[in-house]
Amino acid sequence: MITSDETLRIGVYVCHCGSNIAGTVDVEALTKFAEGLPHVALARHYKYMCSDPGQELVKRDIVEFGLNRIVVAACSPNLHEATFRRAAEDAGLNRFLVQIANIREQVAWVTEDRQEALEKAESHLGAAVRRVARHVPLQRQFVRIVPRAMVVGGGIAGIQAALTLAEAGREVILVEREPSIGGHMAMFDKTFPTLDCAACILTPKMTAVKLHPNIKLLTYSTVESVEGSVGNFRIKVKRKPRYIDESLCVGCMQCIDGCAFTRAKFPNAFDQGLGLRKPVWIPFPQAVPPVPVVDPEVCLQIARGKCKQGCVEACGERNAFRFDQQERIEEYEVGAVVVATGFHAFDPSVISYYGYGKYPNVYTSLEVERLLNAGGPTSGKLVLRDGSTPKRVGIIHCVGSRDANYHAYCSRVCCMYALKLAHLVREKTEAEVYNCYIDIRAAGKGFEEFYNRVQNEGVQFVRGKVADITPAAGQGTSAEGGLVMKVDDTLLGSIREINVDMVILAVALEPQADANQVRRTFGISCSAEGFFLEKHPKLAPVNTANDGVLVAGACQGAKDIPDTVAQADAAAAKALALIDAGQIELEPNTAWIEEDICSGCKTCINLCPYQAIRADEERKIAVVDPALCKGCGTCVAACPSGAARQHLFGDEQISEELEGLMNYV
Amino acid sequence: MTTVESHDGKRLLEQLGASDYGKPPLGCMQCGLCAATCPLGPAMELPPRKLILYAAAGNLEPVLSSPALWMCVACYACSKRCPRGIELTEGLWPALRDAAMQAGIQPPAELQETFQNVLKYGNVLGKSPRQRLDWTKGLDVRVLDLSREPRPVDVLWLVGCYPSYYPRNQVVARAFARILTELGVSWGILGARERSPGECDRMFGEEGLFETLVEQNRELFDKQDFGKLVVLDPHAFRALQSFYPRFGAWYPVQHYTMFLAEHLEQLRPLIVRPVEAVVTYHDNCCVGRRCGCYDPPRELLQLIPGVKLVEMARNRDDSLCCGGGGGGMWLDAHIVAHGGQRLSDERVRQAAASGADTLAVSCPYELSRFEDAAKVTGLEERLKVRDIIELLAESMELGERSVS
Ligand SMILES: Cc1cc2nc3c(=O)[nH]c(=O)nc-3n(C[C@H](O)[C@H](O)[C@H](O)COP(=O)(O)OP(=O)(O)OC[C@H]3O[C@@H](n4cnc5c(N)ncnc54)[C@H](O)[C@@H]3O)c2cc1C
Repeated sequence: MITSDETLRIGVYVCHCGSNIAGTVDVEALTKFAEGLPHVALARHYKYMCSDPGQELVKRDIVEFGLNRIVVAACSPNLHEATFRRAAEDAGLNRFLVQIANIREQVAWVTEDRQEALEKAESHLGAAVRRVARHVPLQRQFVRIVPRAMVVGGGIAGIQAALTLAEAGREVILVEREPSIGGHMAMFDKTFPTLDCAACILTPKMTAVKLHPNIKLLTYSTVESVEGSVGNFRIKVKRKPRYIDESLCVGCMQCIDGCAFTRAKFPNAFDQGLGLRKPVWIPFPQAVPPVPVVDPEVCLQIARGKCKQGCVEACGERNAFRFDQQERIEEYEVGAVVVATGFHAFDPSVISYYGYGKYPNVYTSLEVERLLNAGGPTSGKLVLRDGSTPKRVGIIHCVGSRDANYHAYCSRVCCMYALKLAHLVREKTEAEVYNCYIDIRAAGKGFEEFYNRVQNEGVQFVRGKVADITPAAGQGTSAEGGLVMKVDDTLLGSIREINVDMVILAVALEPQADANQVRRTFGISCSAEGFFLEKHPKLAPVNTANDGVLVAGACQGAKDIPDTVAQADAAAAKALALIDAGQIELEPNTAWIEEDICSGCKTCINLCPYQAIRADEERKIAVVDPALCKGCGTCVAACPSGAARQHLFGDEQISEELEGLMNYV
Repeated sequence: MTTVESHDGKRLLEQLGASDYGKPPLGCMQCGLCAATCPLGPAMELPPRKLILYAAAGNLEPVLSSPALWMCVACYACSKRCPRGIELTEGLWPALRDAAMQAGIQPPAELQETFQNVLKYGNVLGKSPRQRLDWTKGLDVRVLDLSREPRPVDVLWLVGCYPSYYPRNQVVARAFARILTELGVSWGILGARERSPGECDRMFGEEGLFETLVEQNRELFDKQDFGKLVVLDPHAFRALQSFYPRFGAWYPVQHYTMFLAEHLEQLRPLIVRPVEAVVTYHDNCCVGRRCGCYDPPRELLQLIPGVKLVEMARNRDDSLCCGGGGGGMWLDAHIVAHGGQRLSDERVRQAAASGADTLAVSCPYELSRFEDAAKVTGLEERLKVRDIIELLAESMELGERSVS
């Protein structure tokens, strides 16, 4: 039923959008059609409605012709709804009396036939006119923003973001899953292309995190759940027991010497299992916090309840051991979150023809990083499993990357780290090094120069993807020694068999194993390959689909340290801009309760996915918190008495819109 | 050498890209993984990578006239590994061979003869269809010839060319007939009417001949009422599973290893006699590498008491082909003449190196290829070649000896 309100005066504006709309939709005919619609006082078409003159037109008409409803037939409301709402407000009209008909994305861009396009545009426009007639003025609503941020993941991305936020004077909670922050960068000896010592540039930042009064560091912890929304997240953090009280431990490490196990015998994951540790251990000497952890699986006291507790004795009067520590949950309120959970290095054992896991002298790049690291399991000596120094080393690029069977994408950093490893291997061992590559990707500041340098150092470059690694003749299958790499040298045009005694697989960077779970916890999406998805690949590279949740570093896509740090600062700046605004405007389309009708049955409370509704026990009614409501409409549909309503989505508004759509098709 | 521009090669690759066999070959990044993976790559003047390179650059002539074109034995190793997902085995090679024949280039003579045989007699051996049932002579179980006595059956067994005609394989056919009967499934065959499904013709670019065979077989199958097709030949399996549906001819089909592995529990009580042997299993390319079906044959072998299963260094995805696939059976002379080796020779050495005394196979071609190879390499005394069916039959006391 069309409203017969004589006071309604609707203005309709049809945008050409250059030729984007006008090229397909007959804008003059559409304007004529609009003039014939009920309550339309005036209809115009204009080249660019979003331009200043376009907006002025609307403002002038509101004043001059007393318009009290506006319909703009243009592009998606995602783009310019805010623009026209503001224009209306400037001219003294309530901003929610504006409706957009999307005739660009939904009509012009997806329709070929002009007649069809016109008819479609008419039905969209008709629907908007009928709908806006039922709009009522609404108040804008704002909520306070919690001036605190959380950073999840303490690799170089998380460290950088946390420091930037802390230096700007904001409180930061940094959550790291492992016993220490540092991420992958802490594993490396040197970094390309400048060959800076990784520890020398990273550890000062790690220490700064530890000392910064604005940073609360939660290591050995993960995020359990996230409630609320932008400006007001309530986050539960699960803290694994270390069995050592962090506040009492001074990091003397004497407990490790005192441990009942006199020799280290359990694989140290940080060393990729190449080094050994005790049940009480610390991943690497510069770990932050410098507090050991106890592995409950192998600690005699915890696993069997029986040990002479040399560790406790060594700890002495500091008395930091707590064998009864339990996992616990802590809750934090923050305004914004930076997710910086990094990457996982591809496990090459699935590529059977490279024999990783079968031939002991086939290594991953990450393992070799540890071997080359002065703080690693061999104190920086590059040796084979039998302790001897390799004389011929093959480095295979693109292992798991650029491969439709594993990851189709290029991991971006492997070419450069493979060059770095080639250089370091030669520097430390003088071995002959063969880099087998498909293409060398050295697009970055100083990268090509570094490639050239490594070439001049005598590393051999073989253009081709290695097809097989087999034990050298006469070595049997469990070869301790020689290996043969079979490769089509595509530049020579012949198939070569290259004898080596060590193979390094330059493995891909892939999403973390738990990326999907983390993604769901934070309400963000991921791209096809599983990395977290930014809101816009060009224009919103650190925002996500969930407002207030930002991404930085390798969790968003494979990237090197310089790019990671730049992105981390970008995310920190975005988080700052958000929390410094102090308040945030809510979407207007929240639910509300018609109190007179509400019977207090609580149906809506259990259904609300955002915990936005609570029961007022005294008045026996439901109450919606507009700051938490996301406008999903579940309660509105479910309410048995029709007391739950939604702004901008009233029954009459929706049915008018639908009727409009139907009437004019 | 100067490159003569012509667009024929590129057009051919484009067409192939649109044909739904893997990813478009124009996406090749020339990494050479195919060439170094191919067991005959080093002998090829133009290994797969270069076939694409030359064709894409327009130089189709050297591609079509290269002896390398007739050296692929369809082992699928390159396709399996190609980082760009290009289907070289079922896409590129057949298309190039087709183009070569259309350009008037003759395939090796032995292969042409095989095509003629299939066309004339419906089998690769050039035998008379009337002899198709010779293998059943002296068989102690009832063989239902559905082409004479049509009736509903669970299993329509396509016996295959070699098991029908070739004495060594006939033993396997008879054993399978007994196993089927012992299992209590209702089964039948097409007798003298059975025709080769034509896999090797398709792989050799004989698209026209292949289409004829699809039509003939479709007509035969559609007259019957059966639950599924079961085949002994992995190549027949591949053809029926993947190539036939492209012509709208869709039939449920299983290789016998899949079929029997589905009946593990029914088989178990029938296994009565241990077979003392150290067995290594050779994964055939069609059922193995192409379809990723590696466990069923091993499950069957492990069912047999006394069998100790060992693996060759190259197994499953990395298994070395016997050299007989996709028409390779008739290419040995051509391959050797151009500097290649018979892959079966290398494979029996690998089998012996695994410590096995028995090389178990599940493809009719492999029996004769590996037995020949064992002779040539002097491993005859050390290594027996037996079909899984024979080992099962022996353990079920259904082997040849129990008949006579
Ligand atoms: C072998 C190798 C060598 C490399 N060499 C170089 C080089 O020389 N130069 C260079 O520029 N780049 C190099 N890179 C790339 C470099 O590692 C990355 O750019 C960098 O590590 C990315 O930092 P990040 O903080 O985003 O991720 P990461 O370093 O992966 O850090 C992520 C952190 O988040 C934590 N985390 C993960 N999940 C959770 C969770 N759910 N909750 C809480 N915390 C979590 C992790 O424990 C980790 O501490 C190399 C990469 C590899 C594989």
